[in-house]
Amino acid sequence: MSDDSPRDTAADDFQDPLENYEPKSYTDPVERALAEETVEAIQHQPFETISPDTTVSDAVRKLSGLHIACLLVEADGKLVGVFSDRDVLDKVALEYDTVKDRPVREVMTTQPVYVYVTDPAAAALSVMAVSGHRHVPILDLDDRLVGIASPQRVTAFLQRHLGAA
Amino acid sequence: MGLLENMQNEPVSRLALREPVTASPDTPLRDAIRRMRDGHLGCVIAVDDRHVPLGMFTESMLTQLLAREPSALDEPLGNHLSDRWPQVKMTDRIADVLGALQRENVPFLCVVDAEGRVAGLAGQKGLMKYVAEHFPQQVMVQRIGGTPYQHQREGA
Repeated sequence: MSDDSPRDTAADDFQDPLENYEPKSYTDPVERALAEETVEAIQHQPFETISPDTTVSDAVRKLSGLHIACLLVEADGKLVGVFSDRDVLDKVALEYDTVKDRPVREVMTTQPVYVYVTDPAAAALSVMAVSGHRHVPILDLDDRLVGIASPQRVTAFLQRHLGAA
Repeated sequence: MGLLENMQNEPVSRLALREPVTASPDTPLRDAIRRMRDGHLGCVIAVDDRHVPLGMFTESMLTQLLAREPSALDEPLGNHLSDRWPQVKMTDRIADVLGALQRENVPFLCVVDAEGRVAGLAGQKGLMKYVAEHFPQQVMVQRIGGTPYQHQREGA
């Protein structure tokens, strides 16, 4: 093969479109952490699940007994809802005698806003700050539940990086 | 200035404070819960006639109460106030809010004015909004909700 073959010429002409790319630099350690670390860096376990067929009274007892604010409702390995202290306040408390034996699927929050474990940590903060949900379910790329981010856990994440300033 | 410096220098009043739901301790718990619902707020602050806070009742306390003693909803609010209800002054630093939320493991803090009267409610959401405001390029542009990633990029 001669030195001036078309293939070699093409290789010589190739210009890497990213050759002048400079990775973004951050002056604030919290901003760097939000951008470059994933949701996985936020503590997201343990988490508790219930079936949508669980009775409301059992779900309330589970929240109370575990001293947690949110249960993830799972069916066939998929997230189908969340049941939290806010659902108890809004849909259960004043109607308790009527709903206590009903399945939790009737009072849970359906279509919860979630993030993927590979999303930037900023995504969890975004759900809380922009969407206003305090508990953010975390899924893997096969849509299986792997955890939950709570405000306490996100605050601890922020504080860890504030301390690094 | 960075987030840390701002949190150490800016006062609580800089946070997006919520209008608190308040009630007299004589208020029936059911009525207090209705006010919490109407105010879309997870707590009610019991106050005296000068609007000085006497205690707090939160949605997590409500869950505990329902699991233990559902009939207690007919009792007065004053019978079920938290003995742990941290408060901050309007002039305290935002870093104090962060510290108190973490230390006390509570979702809400009562904010009082110079005379000790209820002036607002600081919480985790307000703190998250404050952090988000500092990093809009990171936080405000996130894809959130049920839009799954494409497993394989088209054409790749």
